Amino acid sequence: MSEAPHTVKSYEEELKNLNSNIVKMGGFCEEALVKATQAIISRNSDNAETVIKDDEKIDKYETLVEQQVVNLIALRQPMAIDLRETVTALKISSDLERIGDLAKNISKRTLLLNENLPKNLTEALIRVSSNVQKQLKSILDAYLDRSSAMAVNVWEGDEHIDDLTNLCMQEVIKYLKEDEKNLDDGTHLLFVTKNIERIGDHTTNVAEQVYYLVTGEYLEGDRPKGTEPIVTGEK
Amino acid sequence: MIKISAKNVDVFYGKKQALFNINLDIEENQVTALIGPSGCGKSTFLRCLNRMNDVIDICKVQGEIVINDFNINDKGCDVVRLREKIGMVFQKPNPFPKTLYENISYGPSIHGMAQSKQEMDEIVEISLKKAALWEEVKDRLHEPGTGLSGGQQQRLCIARAISVQPEVILMDEPCSALDPIATAQIEELIDELKKEHTIIIVTHSMAQAARVSQRTGFFHLGELIEHGLTDKIFKNPDNTKTQDYITGRFG
Ligand SMILES: Nc1ncnc2c1ncn2[C@@H]1O[C@H](COP(=O)(O)OP(=O)(O)OP(=O)(O)O)[C@@H](O)[C@H]1O
Ligand SMILES: [Mg+2]
Repeated sequence: MSEAPHTVKSYEEELKNLNSNIVKMGGFCEEALVKATQAIISRNSDNAETVIKDDEKIDKYETLVEQQVVNLIALRQPMAIDLRETVTALKISSDLERIGDLAKNISKRTLLLNENLPKNLTEALIRVSSNVQKQLKSILDAYLDRSSAMAVNVWEGDEHIDDLTNLCMQEVIKYLKEDEKNLDDGTHLLFVTKNIERIGDHTTNVAEQVYYLVTGEYLEGDRPKGTEPIVTGEK
Repeated sequence: MIKISAKNVDVFYGKKQALFNINLDIEENQVTALIGPSGCGKSTFLRCLNRMNDVIDICKVQGEIVINDFNINDKGCDVVRLREKIGMVFQKPNPFPKTLYENISYGPSIHGMAQSKQEMDEIVEISLKKAALWEEVKDRLHEPGTGLSGGQQQRLCIARAISVQPEVILMDEPCSALDPIATAQIEELIDELKKEHTIIIVTHSMAQAARVSQRTGFFHLGELIEHGLTDKIFKNPDNTKTQDYITGRFG
């Protein structure tokens, strides 16, 4: 926040606090996605359990942010940049909370996986997840730096994620077709892949919010779209 | 449509310049809010619009104020007619020390607006109704106006201002002495009045400016720093001074 400080110091503090809570919450989400991905690849149930447990932390931050936003609106009646700070914090926190939930869901499914996964499949998963991780990290940096250019980059990057998701889906479908006993694991993996993609979508939402926060304008145009998702039943 | 157009307006109090080259268009049937720190020249500007600065000896106004295609600073301007068209409501309610009825009938009678007692009664009733005061005072029209509560007095002053059917109403911090309920009543009234009048309001409440106005002008040290749609000014102003002021960052 590059503006001159507020005359009322406690107001200044409250906005800083809100900002740092979003940053912390974002940090937990990054960690959750990294750990949830590692847990699938290395079949490490400790990691998976940590993600499931730590989701509470993210939920608590969402509640905290919500309370802070309500207080700011009621007591300070924020205007201009402060209004945008306040409103976007609320929206970003709800996207981050969803990201936490999705990571948790990935980890729950990880605990139910039985077989070792084929190399092609894990590689495809790593590719999409690490791209989403990159996006998430970039958008949190963009938030911290108040960079609309970075926000646009992340927003545009969602297209690539969609493509990688489809490649990953194809691997999962291949795996499903290989053997009937892959049915359970394969189904979980479809959801896991979809969840990673949705984390990407929430990251894109955050990018829109960061853009609005910085510029006061809405990102124009349709969302970037990659190739259409493959329906699981397709041959 | 543009109702009032201020062009290159400079104002001096003696040697001290209070307004610097103000250019501002006021839209008809809209509420324009003027905001800015104390002493920035809001009241001075407001007084330019009905030549109230004339009554201050040391005050000199330069530039044009064009209302209905007529420059009111021209020599030929009939100031009495002008003030009939451009009404004013002040920060502190200032009813005359007379009855409610007389407070309102005073303007219309000097402007010869009523031919009979009955016509005057009607003007009084309509003005009080428009000012949302009629129900509260209809049984005490012949009691002194100073006997009303502050919020009622302010609405009486608004009724008095609208009794002569002005085209423009200037309000200088009309709610600063009022409680939240009276303030809400005045704000509701402003919303209603803008259908028939053009309103310019000076206010120190950012929230009030944001609520009641469609356009906002921000003054600072005698200059008009930024003006435009209220929505834009309060969500995403162009000028950092504007932003610093409305977000409470002024040193
Ligand atoms: N009658 C006067 N004689 C001399 N100087 C004056 C007079 N009226 C106003 N001024 C000066 O002109 C400048 C603008 O005053 P003005 O009253 O227009 O400010 P304002 O924006 O209405 O302030 P506030 O919010 O406090 O009412 C100030 O510096 C003030 O001291
Ligand atoms: Mg004033």
